[in-house]
Amino acid sequence: MFLDLDKKERLRIAAIDDSGQSITYGEICDFSIEFAKHLPERALIFILSENQIGSLLGYTASLSNRIVPLIISAATEENLYNHLFDLYQPEYLWLPQTKAEGKKVLFSAWDYCLVKTGNQRPPMYEDLSLLLPTSGSTGSPKLVRHSYRNIEANADNVRRLFKLDGSEKAMAVLPMHYTMGLSVIASHLLAGATLLLSNRSLLDKGFWATLKEATSFTGVPYSYEILTKMRFTRMDLPNLKVITQGGGKLTESLWNTLAQYAHEKGKQFIATYGQSECTARMAYLPAEKAQEKVCSIGIAEPGGELSIVDDNGNETFEGEAQGEMVYRGENVTLGYATCREDLLKGDENHGIMHTGDLARRDVDGCYYIIGRLKRFLKIFGLRIGLDEVEQMIKAEYKTDCYCKGNDEKLIVLVTDARLQDVLPSFIEEKTHLFHQRIEIQVVKEILRNEAGKVINQ
Amino acid sequence: MTNLEKLNKIFCEVFSVEEAALNSEFNKDNVEGWDSVHQLSLTTSVEDEFDIMLDAVDILEFTSYDNAKQVLAKYEIEL
Repeated sequence: MFLDLDKKERLRIAAIDDSGQSITYGEICDFSIEFAKHLPERALIFILSENQIGSLLGYTASLSNRIVPLIISAATEENLYNHLFDLYQPEYLWLPQTKAEGKKVLFSAWDYCLVKTGNQRPPMYEDLSLLLPTSGSTGSPKLVRHSYRNIEANADNVRRLFKLDGSEKAMAVLPMHYTMGLSVIASHLLAGATLLLSNRSLLDKGFWATLKEATSFTGVPYSYEILTKMRFTRMDLPNLKVITQGGGKLTESLWNTLAQYAHEKGKQFIATYGQSECTARMAYLPAEKAQEKVCSIGIAEPGGELSIVDDNGNETFEGEAQGEMVYRGENVTLGYATCREDLLKGDENHGIMHTGDLARRDVDGCYYIIGRLKRFLKIFGLRIGLDEVEQMIKAEYKTDCYCKGNDEKLIVLVTDARLQDVLPSFIEEKTHLFHQRIEIQVVKEILRNEAGKVINQ
Repeated sequence: MTNLEKLNKIFCEVFSVEEAALNSEFNKDNVEGWDSVHQLSLTTSVEDEFDIMLDAVDILEFTSYDNAKQVLAKYEIEL
């Protein structure tokens, strides 16, 4: 069963939410069986998530029964929701009771309802397990496609990184539809621990009452700005063992505050790095290095491997270096989806992720993010994102391609000779780049090295 | 500007509303978008404007227009 949920002690509490209700591992397993009576395997379902038990059960039951969910916030803006609904046409919805009004409900439990939409089932890749919106691009219908192994691998890597066991009580306040929020959930369920699910604002009294119970807190930089403002470093939080952060870079001063706090109070401050393209977590800085390696993302998580590809294309795994950071691991996702047909796509990343982040590695092997590689040309003042152009071409023509160029022209390498004539006008239509500044080169094959970097430039 | 005017101005700027909207119904549950970002912006502005340092418990109390006034009274800001 998903995350070995059926191998935990049945009576152990898996989650407690804001309503004060709790659910055991045994009840999660029973619910999965009940859920499966109402919908078939390989159905596409939208989960309109809130951090509460009903929403959690939709996730565990879907993944346990090979039903594929797209998890989006229950508060998703209406236009974007309608766009996603039209684009992917889910067969089912799992949504809060309050949003089910006027809909035909098949089944309801824990303040959530199952609704059948009347849409047909899309063909989907057999190993597709879960879809999440890409982080950082609010309003974008672009989704990340996960395999079953991606989720298990991430959960296990994170479990090992934090040495999680069943005694943990994790503060799960990051939203479920956000990759890191879901990673907190999956890793603690795998460990047989207890989730303190909360929808509350960090400026809600209820949040602070729950935090007193928690053994760990996971936040983004803004969470720690609030916590610091609330002078949490002076609070008595005897149960709290670990504070961990991801989702962007902390300022040096906030970093030092947290490192100092952890040092003085005998807690662990663990900074992490990740992307939704790699099922959340990828790197972490071991707690004992927090004071020494300020603002470092540390080393690869257990089960992963980091490297740097420098400007000359040389890939190194140790020693001082600077260049694009590359990650390898079983948590590297399958790729993106931008339309319903993409759900049939297989693994496009093959376990390697070029992060697009420019990093420096110090002599001790610790990584620091120093910038973002931007693949774009500037022609006539037009900004042409090379990745975006490649994606448009791949989406439209189902061909491998590679874009490069200079500030004079855009060069597109394709393997399909029939595209020679159609591509310039296609690209012009999409980007408004004058077609005479576009050169199409037909090649037999787009050659990539082991690191996935294109070499026939 | 009176202290009340100063407080009203802060609320109007944080929530992009007219002064007429500020009444006893103006609270976390009724005002759309009243999240931690808005609340923290509110309390930070109040601290700057009235030159006070709010206790953590009082920051948590800033969940309505009326509560804000009560908190200020605690810091001897006369409205």
